[in-house]
Amino acid sequence: MSRPGLLNLNRRTLLAAGAAALATPAFLRRAWADQSLVIADPGGPFTDGYRKAFYEPFTAATGIAITGVARDAEPTAQFKSIVETRSYIWDVCTLTLSARLILEEQDLLEPLNLDQAKVADVMPEAVHPNMLGTDVYSTVLAYNTDTVTEAPTGWNAFWDFERFPGRRSLRRNPIDTLEIALMADGVDAKALYPLDVERAFKKLDEIKSRIDVWWTGGAQSTQLLESGEIDLIAGWNARFQAAIDGGAPAKIVWNGGLYSIEGWGVPKGNPKADMAREFVAFCAQADMQAKFTDDLAYGPTNLRAYDHIAPERAAILPTAPDNLKLMSLASEPYWREHRAALSERFNAWLLA
Amino acid sequence: MSISHANPRPAAVRLGPIWLAVPAIALLAVFFLFPMARLFVLGIQDGATGGLTTEHYQRLLTTPVYWSILGITFRIAILTAVFSVLLGYPLALWLSRMHSSRQTIMALLVLLPFWTSYLVKTFAWMILLGNRGVLNTLFMDIGLLDRPLRMMYNELGVIIGMVHAMMPLAVLTMLPVMNGIDKRLTLAAGTMGAGRSERFWLVYFPLSVPGVAAAGLLTFITSLGFFIVPAFLGGRGQTMLAQTIITQVQELVNWAFAAVLASLMVVAALVAIWIYNRFFGLSTISGGGSDSTTPGNGPLRVAGQKILRTMAILSRPFDRFDTRPGATERGFRLYPVLMLTFLIAPIFVVFPIAFTSASSLQFPPPGYSLRWFEQYLTSPVWLSATLRSFGVAFATALFATVLGGLAALALARSRSRWNGAIFALMLAPMVVPRIVIAVGLFYLMAQLGLVATNTGLVIGHTLLAIPYCFITVGAVLKSYDWRLNQAAETLGAGRLTILRRVTLPLLRGGVISAALFAFVTSFDELTVAIFISGGLKTTLPKQMWDDMFLQLNPTLAAVSVVVMLLVMLILLAAQKIQK
Repeated sequence: MSRPGLLNLNRRTLLAAGAAALATPAFLRRAWADQSLVIADPGGPFTDGYRKAFYEPFTAATGIAITGVARDAEPTAQFKSIVETRSYIWDVCTLTLSARLILEEQDLLEPLNLDQAKVADVMPEAVHPNMLGTDVYSTVLAYNTDTVTEAPTGWNAFWDFERFPGRRSLRRNPIDTLEIALMADGVDAKALYPLDVERAFKKLDEIKSRIDVWWTGGAQSTQLLESGEIDLIAGWNARFQAAIDGGAPAKIVWNGGLYSIEGWGVPKGNPKADMAREFVAFCAQADMQAKFTDDLAYGPTNLRAYDHIAPERAAILPTAPDNLKLMSLASEPYWREHRAALSERFNAWLLA
Repeated sequence: MSISHANPRPAAVRLGPIWLAVPAIALLAVFFLFPMARLFVLGIQDGATGGLTTEHYQRLLTTPVYWSILGITFRIAILTAVFSVLLGYPLALWLSRMHSSRQTIMALLVLLPFWTSYLVKTFAWMILLGNRGVLNTLFMDIGLLDRPLRMMYNELGVIIGMVHAMMPLAVLTMLPVMNGIDKRLTLAAGTMGAGRSERFWLVYFPLSVPGVAAAGLLTFITSLGFFIVPAFLGGRGQTMLAQTIITQVQELVNWAFAAVLASLMVVAALVAIWIYNRFFGLSTISGGGSDSTTPGNGPLRVAGQKILRTMAILSRPFDRFDTRPGATERGFRLYPVLMLTFLIAPIFVVFPIAFTSASSLQFPPPGYSLRWFEQYLTSPVWLSATLRSFGVAFATALFATVLGGLAALALARSRSRWNGAIFALMLAPMVVPRIVIAVGLFYLMAQLGLVATNTGLVIGHTLLAIPYCFITVGAVLKSYDWRLNQAAETLGAGRLTILRRVTLPLLRGGVISAALFAFVTSFDELTVAIFISGGLKTTLPKQMWDDMFLQLNPTLAAVSVVVMLLVMLILLAAQKIQK
């Protein structure tokens, strides 16, 4: 807490205000319910999936009650405020790898002290001192099977208007888009980082004016595929799966996919940290992780979970062995370092 | 609190009218100015040492992309304001000529699109305007087009979406002013030989200018902070400043630079207000200067008169069309129908989808069912969110109208040198992007223990709604005859009695509009709710937002339909009671 926060109200005033606040009934209630945790997840289908996989089994095993609440899409701002003002409205919160890096840099995460034996089966990329990854999502290519008759096999299809005519959509964000351009230009997926930015933008120049929609929100990408507005699109697998489940004539191409990981983090200084750690460790179990895949098209990080998942369901999950081997991990450290500059450059490139 | 200032007993100290603004100023000082000042300090503070630095501002100056984005933001906001006022003026005029009971019902129709969450509206536009959307399919089926027209993912799409969102605001700001214009004036001009063109351009229009000006500024400033519409309906050339601020706050967690961009936006808005003041005078909005019966004779005023005379001459040839009595009314009917269709268009999509049997927003629906209503009405989460939204919106409407209205009254009556500053403060919450307000508020409220409380939500929404209430009440005060107060006073009425028996009844239209604006502002507010609710005290828009994580599902449409019907019932009932 030595870095200047949003406010350097002095700590003593803050503590005094906190003490006064503690005397109010609302806070008394919270103190009384010490055998409970408030857990923030992305909401919607996550709340259902996680309740079945983690919340209910954990309560059954430990007697600790869990309240699941929906958090904002990017909870970093809220997380920062929670720690700096020491108002722990959430005990555990889902984070992406990029959020983990940002929060770690600002020292906002509680160490998890995970027992290595308990996480032995979990993908090594998902285990961090202050975060445990529970699900894997992936940026993939999806296409409309009615209008694109030949099945694309990789990103170069996006640039090939002769063989794959149709309307195209990319995310209005440099992340993944630059990698996609490089892979389409022939760069090996294992040798993407550090990105050859010049080459990526040059490749993107070729199709810039022919991209019909630059999407910004996940639900928007689902709608674009579902309504037949576009024929080829790059985006997150679960969003496309939602369109396919809704009856859209579409398929996902796993080849060249870029995956990333989401999981639990605990706000630094949380008085319930011990209980929170117990919950996080609980979520590493294979059979628990298998349960959320009924509701969510995300891959479990404990690969033993596939012992409990039906093969037809496994086929649409990013960490199923057949899919995972076609994809590579997006580099968060690279993006943490270059994201600000590349976002600026990408915006300028779009407007030019 | 405010009432004690207006204490009529002679024994009490008679405070100046400026004191009426104090409650609003106090609220804004604590929950708006203070958090904003803290954010601003971040923009000039060195992250490592805590000392002063100009590095973030240097970055802004040396990165041209932010200047192009600022230019785009201005362009879109100006176009939105111009079209909202231009298209809304005849509609407001049409409404103002109705009997008050019919007018209320029609005004509700104008407001109808307000009651659907703007997330749902934006998606409805995507269904309507898409390449394979409803309109293109229709036009191609009837042979009007042979290939789809690009109506979306470009500037046109953004303008359609934004004008749709802003036009009700423009109409409802102009309407009270038009209602206040004495119809006998144009009649008198007619008896003195003025034609239809002169009657309109030289008599009616100048009297309606305060409403036009208020509507223009209001829609312009609100448009500056838009981000959902350009993100969803725009193309690669439509990036607005608010979007880049959100990226800085949420994705890059660079609050210092976000603060710099936010101050750029505030400065941009202040410059706009300043220019506006030079040309029109802020008094057109605040209601100040309305006592003066002798109009000035500045060069601008002369130029304005000349333009209006030219307009009158130019439109004179059209006077001859259809001079039969009642013809105006008939010719006047097609336009409002067109505009109302435009305003209600997204609802035509939302209604059928609410009854779909599919689990997606497929349009037209493949079959019909009530499953989404069942899902909504049997879900305790959705019902409690609905109840909370209504409660918070009612409280917000009450507080914002009282605080904003009193502040408008204060400025209209006071000649204080603080008027300008107070005026700017009252409008400020509208200028600062909501995400910035939300972050600052969350930080403060977390310290005060107000996060995840209904009180926190009401405070947050009240400060967002104050500018609308302030301007709406201010606009009607402009045409208020203060001599009525003097008359009442000479008859022995105290200040409180005057407020209750003279001022309020005369301002009724404006006060009701203000309350409606405040209600809607709160009811459709997402950003502050996301932060302040903490996920625990969920409002309706927040619940909708959570629910659309993977896809927009038809529950949202069902919720919109139920909410719309509920609101209509409440408003119609309220109108019945009033009679």
